[in-house]
Amino acid sequence: MPPRLQPPPASGTRRPRAAVLPLALLLSLALQGVAAAPAGAGEPEDSLRRRDPELPRGLLEQAARAALHFVNFRAGSPSTLRVLADVLEGRARVNPKKECQVDLVFTTDRYNPEEGEERLGKCSARVFFRNQKPRPAINVTCTRLIEKNKRQQEDYLLYKHMKQLKTPLDVVSIPDSHGHIDPSLRPIWDLAFLGGSYVMWEKTTQFLHYYMAQLSSVNQWKTNDDAIDFDYTVLLHEFSTQEIIPCRIHLVWYPGKPLKVKYHCQELQTPEEASGTEEGSAVAPTELNNF
Amino acid sequence: MKLLLGTLLLGILVPEELGYDGSLAQHRREVVEETVSQRRGLDAYSYKRYHPMEEIYQWMIQISEKYAEVVTQHFLGMTYETRPMYYLKISQPSNNPKKIIWMDCGIHAREWIAPAFCQWFVKEILQNYKDDSRIKKLLRNLDFYVLPILNIDGYIYTWTTDRLWRKSRSSHNNGTCFGTDLNRNFNVSWCSIGASRNCQDITFCGTGPVSEPETKAVSSLIESKKDNIVCFLTMHSFGQLILTPYGYTKNKSSNHEELIQVGQKAANALKEKHGTNYRVGSSADILYATSGSSRDWARDIGIPFSYTFELRDNGTYGFVLPEGQIQATCEESMAAILSVLDDVYEKYWGTDSAGKAASSAVVLGLLVSFMSLL
Repeated sequence: MPPRLQPPPASGTRRPRAAVLPLALLLSLALQGVAAAPAGAGEPEDSLRRRDPELPRGLLEQAARAALHFVNFRAGSPSTLRVLADVLEGRARVNPKKECQVDLVFTTDRYNPEEGEERLGKCSARVFFRNQKPRPAINVTCTRLIEKNKRQQEDYLLYKHMKQLKTPLDVVSIPDSHGHIDPSLRPIWDLAFLGGSYVMWEKTTQFLHYYMAQLSSVNQWKTNDDAIDFDYTVLLHEFSTQEIIPCRIHLVWYPGKPLKVKYHCQELQTPEEASGTEEGSAVAPTELNNF
Repeated sequence: MKLLLGTLLLGILVPEELGYDGSLAQHRREVVEETVSQRRGLDAYSYKRYHPMEEIYQWMIQISEKYAEVVTQHFLGMTYETRPMYYLKISQPSNNPKKIIWMDCGIHAREWIAPAFCQWFVKEILQNYKDDSRIKKLLRNLDFYVLPILNIDGYIYTWTTDRLWRKSRSSHNNGTCFGTDLNRNFNVSWCSIGASRNCQDITFCGTGPVSEPETKAVSSLIESKKDNIVCFLTMHSFGQLILTPYGYTKNKSSNHEELIQVGQKAANALKEKHGTNYRVGSSADILYATSGSSRDWARDIGIPFSYTFELRDNGTYGFVLPEGQIQATCEESMAAILSVLDDVYEKYWGTDSAGKAASSAVVLGLLVSFMSLL
């Protein structure tokens, strides 16, 4: 059934003769059954981006996510984590090896928004996906979302709070089934998310991305030697397979110092699903991982 | 002889009925007390919290008793673990011809916000159908069939054992493997793409199309009433999407343009509530390829308006959406659904014509109004 036509503007009430022409147009349109495409139908963002139609849909968002995980990991600051707000523009190129380079600009929001604070930051990034192999190469610069001093201050407050938590931590899962995170346990979640960012960066490909669904267990929480030594398990939700992947993460954090992370994720055994992905095991070869 | 027997029977039955022994008066008192406490239960029922299955079963009974003039509870079938599936039918008694709106929630166990929305939707309709002209109008010619939880076994499992479980709880491979993805189990291009034949996988399509009792139950009912169903809505989370057919192919349904238009209008109405952004498109275009989905199946058996709604959020909390967001999510989603229903109503019982709103009738109407101005 052809879609309903919008009634024409009220020009007819003022100029009766001029109404004949738009009316004839209207009639011809109706007879041809031309669809009146409303503004905003489908994907309006496409018109702002130059992209090769061969590329998978949502590639820019994939790149933004990977870049953001990397930004969060590199900043090493659980109090100033960022989330994706909007992709403003982007371009992508695929080489003969099916490797994919994405250049993009996107805005970010604070993960823990605070009242009265200007929230949006801006990042420009170059992301290089290696044909379904994990660990995209990332070059990214972001505007400063929070002043360096303020960030260090907040991290230190978080750190002090964490040092005061009674061990062993009485944590079943964060958040609980109803989505609640006890405010006193929020710093644990944020730190877990920070470590999870490293894992999610490494695992993101141009087709798979991740969310941290739940912190399912705390295996160890040590605060001797000043640094926080945190061994825990998160459940990552893998998109678009919909699978839940448990990952054991071991991190060491001290405010202002680079994060040290080790992890192991339980991958599924089915060969056709695991094509191209390596098991993210133990020590990843990076100068930042110095266990 | 028959007359004698009949009188005899009457003689036995009637005294019981009229409670000559006083037991009926007692029974009546008990029923009144029960009803009062149930109604109190319903008054205390929070639509801003997640409820376990036992409470939802109770809620359905209470709702259909409190609003008995328009609500009836119907048995749909049994789950794998032999639990009863019920849907609520909301219908304003009248002589008007009626078309059916179908809404199901919770086909995927972990998507808790969806059943919460189904309950919210029922509550909104019933609390407002007498005073709200928009809802009154819809109920003039539309009946609502609402299935608050499709995957009951899975839902219970997310409460007792694994919060992130998705599938049903059917047993396979001698009890070594559990669950079918019910939204891959419908008989439409079954298991062709975006689904797995391995029962260990989360998108396991089942042992055959409609192999699962839950799928059978829904399919049978929809099939039997398909000539009268104009709208099939299946509620999921998360992702903030309004999805049109198809998932199993990039080809578009014959009414794709219209579905997008109606969907976009709904997304706009949704956004007006709390600023939440929803995207609209076919599943294959904006989500991923899937086969055997209920939405695709519904469209292909002829139901014109078939949508999947993926409710809040965008991944921050994902399936484990905080209870604090239930109200806002339900309010905005309600706005979207009502927008769709308005458009559907308009199409079949539009204001400018007695029957179907055909575009030629619109143009004729415009022609007449223009002619009168010349």
